[in-house]
This record gives sequence, structure tokens and C-alpha cells, in this order.
Amino acid sequence: MLDLDDELMERYQKGDESAFTLLVRRHQQPLINFIARFINDRDNAEDLAQETFIRMFKAAHRYEPGRAHFKTWMYHIAKNLCKNEIRNRERRDKYRVDNVVNSGSDGNNQTEEIDLIANTPANSGFQPEVELERKELRNAIQKAIAELPEQYRLPLVLRDLQGLSYDEISEVLELRSGTTKSRINRARLMLKDKLKPFI
Amino acid sequence: MNCLQAEEQFSAHFEDTLDYETLQGLEEHLAACETCQQEYARFQESVKVVQQLPQIEPSPYFMPTLLQRIAEEQGGIDGVKGSTTTGWKQLLNLFRRPVWAFSGILALILAVTGTYLYQDGFLFDRDTDSTVVTSESQKVQVATSPVVTQRAGGNGSQRLPGGVIPRSVRPMQQHYVLKQVSYTNASTRGGL
Ligand SMILES: [Zn+2]
Repeated sequence: MLDLDDELMERYQKGDESAFTLLVRRHQQPLINFIARFINDRDNAEDLAQETFIRMFKAAHRYEPGRAHFKTWMYHIAKNLCKNEIRNRERRDKYRVDNVVNSGSDGNNQTEEIDLIANTPANSGFQPEVELERKELRNAIQKAIAELPEQYRLPLVLRDLQGLSYDEISEVLELRSGTTKSRINRARLMLKDKLKPFI
Repeated sequence: MNCLQAEEQFSAHFEDTLDYETLQGLEEHLAACETCQQEYARFQESVKVVQQLPQIEPSPYFMPTLLQRIAEEQGGIDGVKGSTTTGWKQLLNLFRRPVWAFSGILALILAVTGTYLYQDGFLFDRDTDSTVVTSESQKVQVATSPVVTQRAGGNGSQRLPGGVIPRSVRPMQQHYVLKQVSYTNASTRGGL
């Protein structure tokens, strides 16, 4: 039996272009979240998500409903785009650091602690300490995820943030199911240790 | 079962997928080993907080920008194939009209609420520990009306191979400018 994604793809293949926008609507938010968490960059996540959909749109005629899964196909493409982005970024950063070193600059960056409390409204019931704690925890989690080696970060994000099944993750990452399971467990153990000061 | 073997079963126990024998072995070890007991408690807590991270909302420009990019792509393909793009153009126009009509108002609302929400960390937390060395100049603009601009630095040109798309006039860039207003001090590679 075809699922809704497959049905929409079939409609799109038959010329109903609105079916593709429906597919985008169904998957845009999880896709953007996946990319943002994986590359640790919200600003570029939408751009890469669009690129993912464009690639799917271009290859749509080759899609075989019932054989592949739209969702795992989508994550597979996004994962490859993200990996490229990470590689490019590493090259850029290396180039930048080299330049800084060569020019003798002190390399001061603009990252400045943003005052979270100063800009919050004085509404009743708002507890700055609680909010700050929550925010610190969220930041710590994101930082801990970003620090995980890619091979652990990917399956962890797909599982614990995107809610994919182990089978789907194995499909996206082209891993044996045992490997997927052990990597997710390993990633969670690493996170547990990184988050020790907060939990 | 020793401590290492016990640790290997944490996820399966947490997700309740252990077979009877392994479950027995793990329960026995946990009952006898205080360290693993504590570690497993923290493991569960840590998985739960990760799973509860807030979801990011797509910006209102996501769909119109995507449709525009697809229409542009198809325009390129059409030059070769000579097929029609009317369907995509119609779709795009559907999105474009309300977007452009209200973009001025939207820009204002986003600038005001965006500043509040982002600084509050409600939508997405910034990674204040970022150690990125960036020499890119951050253009800070006042977005009282839609501003069409190139992305700061070289981001626009660092697109992936195959995605060579003219990016001169796009709603997304308005969005980007708005975000710059919100994060006047943040680096381009802010965290989440
Ligand atoms: Zn033990």
C-alpha cells in the first residue's frame, strides 16, 4: 500500500505540481530542524533545506513509489549536502585562521555574550533564573551535540530529535542495523557525560 | 554482565526492546552496581532533555523562496527542453502576491518580535561560547522596510556545486537582513 508521501509523489509525476508543495509543507520543518542541528547553524539551514527539495524535485521522475521512502530519501540527500557544507566550512575556517596568523592580527571575534535578561519583558510570572537555567541547558545540549563526531551525531539527531526508527536511520545512513543501534547508544553515552554538569 | 556490557544495553533498556535474558542480566547488574545505577539514571535524564529540545519554525519566506528557486531552475531547463513552466509560476504567484503585499508590515512585525524572541532565546538559542574566528563584516541595517541586499561576507558565493542559482532579488534575503538586525553582535555562525 502506498503511503501519503508516495501518493503525492505519484500525483506530482503525473503533472500535479501542487502535490510537490504539499510534500514540502509536510516535511519542511523536520528537514530544517535536522539540518540546523546537524550543522549547528540555523542561518544556513533553510538554504540547505531548499537545496534538498530542489534536488528531489529534479530527480522526482526517477522516484519509484513503494520502493523507496520519501522521508529517508530526503534525509539522505540532506545529509550529503550537510557533509559538503561542513567540509567547505572547515576549509574556509582553515583559510581564515591561516590568514589571521599570517597577518599578525589577534583574531578577536565578535562573539559577545548576549544579555538574555535585559531584553525580557517585565511580565508577571516570568522567572529570569528559571529561564536562564533552561536556556543554559539548551545551549549546553546543542553544544554537546555539535561536539559529537559526525558518525555519532548523525544517527543521534535522526533518532532523538527527528524521531526516525532504527530501520529508517539505517536506510538514510546506509548502515547495518547493529551499527546504527550501537552508534546511537554510544552517542547517548557521550552526551550523558558531556551534560554531567547540568543533569 | 559487567559494567561495560551493561552500558551497551542502556538504549535498548530505555526503549524497552531487550529480550528477557538480557533484561534479567542488566537488572541484576544494576541492582548490584551503584555506579551503573547512577549512570543509567543520568543516561535516561540526558536522553529525555535532548528529545525535548524545541523545534525551529520555518520562516515565512521558506516556501516562496523555494518556489522561486524551482521556477528559476525550471526556466534554465526550459531553455533546453522547451517545456512549460506555467504551473510553477502560477504557484509562485499565489505565494508571491500576499507576501509582497504584506512584506512591509511583516518586516516591521518581524523586526520587533524577532528581536524580542531571538534575544529571549525562545526560537533558537545562540551559542555564546562560539570560538569561531570570523573576519566577515556584519552589516547592520535597520529593517523598517524590505531591504534587498546581498548576504554579508561571501556566504552567497559559497553555495554547493550544482546549486548555481542567481540570488540577486529574493525574499529570503530580506529575512536574512531582519535576522542581522536581531543579532547585531552575533557571528554568522551562531549556534542554535
Ligand atoms: Zn556496573
